[in-house]
Amino acid sequence: MLKMTHLSKVYRTEVVETYALRDFNIDVKEGEFVAVTGPSGSGKTTFLTIAGLLETFTGGEYHLDGIEVSQLNDNARSKIRNEKIGFIFQAFNLIPDLNVFDNVEVPLRYRGMKAPERKERIMGALERVGLASRAKHYPAELSGGQQQRVAIARALAGSPRLLLADEPTGNLDTQMARGVMELLEEIHRDGATIVMVTHDPELAARAQRNVHIIDGQVVDLAEDPRFHTAYTAAAGQIRG
Amino acid sequence: MQIHPILAALRRHKAGTVLIALQIALTLAIVCNALFIIDQRLAHISEPSGVDEANLFVIKNLWGEQYSTQQAVERIEEDLNTLRQLPAVQDATPVDGYPMGTTNEDNFITMKPDQRAPTTDASFYTGDDHFLRTFGLKLIAGRDFRPDEIENKGLRDSIVPPVAIISKTMADKIYPNGDALGKTFYAMTPTPITIIGIVETLHRMDVSTWSAPYTGESMLTPVRMAMPIGIYYAVRAKPGQRDVAMGEARKALFAENRMRIIDPKDGILSFTEIRRRAFDSDRGMAILMGIICLVLLAITAAGIVGLTSFWVGQRRRQIGVRRALGATHRDILNYFMTENLLISLGGVLIGVLLTFGLNLWLVTRFTLNVLPLTYVLGGIVILLLLGQGAVLAPALRASRVPPIEATRPA
Repeated sequence: MLKMTHLSKVYRTEVVETYALRDFNIDVKEGEFVAVTGPSGSGKTTFLTIAGLLETFTGGEYHLDGIEVSQLNDNARSKIRNEKIGFIFQAFNLIPDLNVFDNVEVPLRYRGMKAPERKERIMGALERVGLASRAKHYPAELSGGQQQRVAIARALAGSPRLLLADEPTGNLDTQMARGVMELLEEIHRDGATIVMVTHDPELAARAQRNVHIIDGQVVDLAEDPRFHTAYTAAAGQIRG
Repeated sequence: MQIHPILAALRRHKAGTVLIALQIALTLAIVCNALFIIDQRLAHISEPSGVDEANLFVIKNLWGEQYSTQQAVERIEEDLNTLRQLPAVQDATPVDGYPMGTTNEDNFITMKPDQRAPTTDASFYTGDDHFLRTFGLKLIAGRDFRPDEIENKGLRDSIVPPVAIISKTMADKIYPNGDALGKTFYAMTPTPITIIGIVETLHRMDVSTWSAPYTGESMLTPVRMAMPIGIYYAVRAKPGQRDVAMGEARKALFAENRMRIIDPKDGILSFTEIRRRAFDSDRGMAILMGIICLVLLAITAAGIVGLTSFWVGQRRRQIGVRRALGATHRDILNYFMTENLLISLGGVLIGVLLTFGLNLWLVTRFTLNVLPLTYVLGGIVILLLLGQGAVLAPALRASRVPPIEATRPA
């Protein structure tokens, strides 16, 4: 579903080159629920923005649902974002001027979908996240957890092949976070491919597979001697 | 089209939306009426005079001493002989007024002596058998005056002319069937005046707006004025020799008799200059109105650019989210163009009401004509295009917001 090979992302200024990702390799299979973890500045968010075609990369290859995306123009990238990817952002990123229904409708309109089909999908998605009764409410009238559920409904409405979640519970309290996480697990059980970036080991542990990024590279914590001790301790804490 | 979500978003930004819509409405109302006034003024400025403007000039001749009517008649005859003998001159005639001049003689016209409400109003020219030729007027029916029909008129003489040559506009007004020739009318006179000739066009002496309903209505009677103070000489130069003739005329008149006053600056005026001076205020008004229109349009455009730029800056993250969710550059561009179009449409709807309201006030207060619908339609098109033009730069800027903006901290 998502395969990056020797991918690199370099930020260049006049004096320095900074590698956000270096020789980055990852392969996410269809139907997987992958948690991407790592310390701040490790490159998790850069990975997610490249995976979601929100920005370009410098070198290497990236295949998304079998399509090599590096040569695509902006319109083609927009089309793929619209049709194949669903985004869940840490800050929800709902449009404050639109009510819940209209927010969920945004990606469907860009797809050129007819109004009856749009309505059916929107109400279906809202029912799935338990917010069908709030369709006419504005984001400011909802709790953080409800806003994130709307964002999930917006991501689901277009039936994407891949869900990308960037710290989806980062702005929520524990109870709301648990609810959102349970919703993501339910969506995964229904067959969705999910890649979730998180710095929370407890959330990461609930994913099917963990990928750890350090200094712009995927590392195997269990194998890498640099992190072996810390990993063992953290894993023990989670289990305990 | 994404009209519904745009309208929904605009409802959440009422203040800016309403202000811009009202600005558009006010601009439409003022611009439409101003353009109409400009057009009317320009039409007024370009009214045909009917005379040979390119070769005509007028001399304002004041006598150096006061003459009796007989002395004035003799002096005028001498001056006319002098002028007509100049090589660059075609003909000359004495007049007490000329088209688009500073003086005006006009009479109410009736079809019966005891008629209370006048049929029309006409400029009242006096002239001799050289008048038509000197002014270059085109006689389209009847005949010119015969020399034996010309009467000299002193300051206190009262002459009721038995015949007249009238403009076609006047002929059509008093005899709409086109059979004016040979018929009679009254010009506040006790006896009827018979129409012996009709000229194609003869502008009134005045250019004032009050006489607009009587534009082009003029009559000429066979009278040669012989005033004790002075007289105007209308002189027609040979084609292309007007400036030469103007110089020659002054020298020749002074050479013939120095006892006269011809103002060195304004004593001899070409008809080009006469027309220019006659419509100076109209031209000034048209320019002023034009400047007001341009300034208003510029302010409205600036308002749209300012508000849209502000909204683009304010919604940068929102635009990034839309891009992340699949909006193309064109989708974002269309969003802002459509948003402006909707605001502008709201503005022009209110503006149409304001436009007709303002016109109604102008009609009742300043006797302006009723605004034709074409001006309103033209104004709407101008305002909509202005809005789209003004919003283009900030909308293009918005369309270039990258999708990565969605992940930046708020």
